[in-house]
Amino acid sequence: MKKSEASVFLKNRNGMAAKNLIKIPSEIKNIRKVSREILSALIDYNLDEDKRFDIRLCIEEAVRNAITHGNCSDKKRSVKVSYWVEGGQVNIEIEDEGKGFDYRIVPDPTAGGNLMKTSGRGVYLIKKLMDGVEFNETGNKVRMVKNLKIGG
Amino acid sequence: MAVKTEPKSGITVCYIEGEIDINSSPDIKKSFDKLISKKIPKIVINLSKVTYVDSSGLATLVEILKNMKAYSGRMRLSNLSPKIKSLFEITKLERLFEIIADEEEAISTFA
Repeated sequence: MKKSEASVFLKNRNGMAAKNLIKIPSEIKNIRKVSREILSALIDYNLDEDKRFDIRLCIEEAVRNAITHGNCSDKKRSVKVSYWVEGGQVNIEIEDEGKGFDYRIVPDPTAGGNLMKTSGRGVYLIKKLMDGVEFNETGNKVRMVKNLKIGG
Repeated sequence: MAVKTEPKSGITVCYIEGEIDINSSPDIKKSFDKLISKKIPKIVINLSKVTYVDSSGLATLVEILKNMKAYSGRMRLSNLSPKIKSLFEITKLERLFEIIADEEEAISTFA
């Protein structure tokens, strides 16, 4: 994607943050498409490799959770992703069609016996790598925020 | 994704390339299942060419470790990039794995 094309996705005519929307069927093969599109849109921000890694990882973890846990891997259900840049931060919202979950009681994967478990690290990594994470009350939508500026 | 293996000084060194994620994890697991079925006693997994790991990739490595421990096999991870090493630290998995800077040193720890 050319730089000028990428910028169009993030600002409307008035230069204000424009929300971009992606909707995917709940299949694992669609996860990468989402992270690729968002990272392409952020190309003008010249993010370092670590920041790109963090953003990609968090997008893919959240989308995967939406697919497998939220939508129970039902291809007929969709995951909606919206993203925009505002105040030097990228905002990424991921929503599934499920009943939600209680995000307050996600077990700590670093606690004692949980270390040897082979699952349960997705939400933890998102909270550690993003600068802000917020779930809606139902628990079927998450907003992740990452500072785009150097040192942010 | 195929995992390459090479015997060195009586240790099986395994090389994973590219990404260890939700897409590649099943194939990686299959490759290691073959080694584990043979009860290979000492393995070094060289991650120098691994560019990306997600939580399913971490889960795959945990599962390999668990399966090896079941027959008292021993495993080391070597050559992690700073970013991937930081993932192990963030998730406290550096407490579970023996993470060594380079392959040669990892091999020597089995002596």
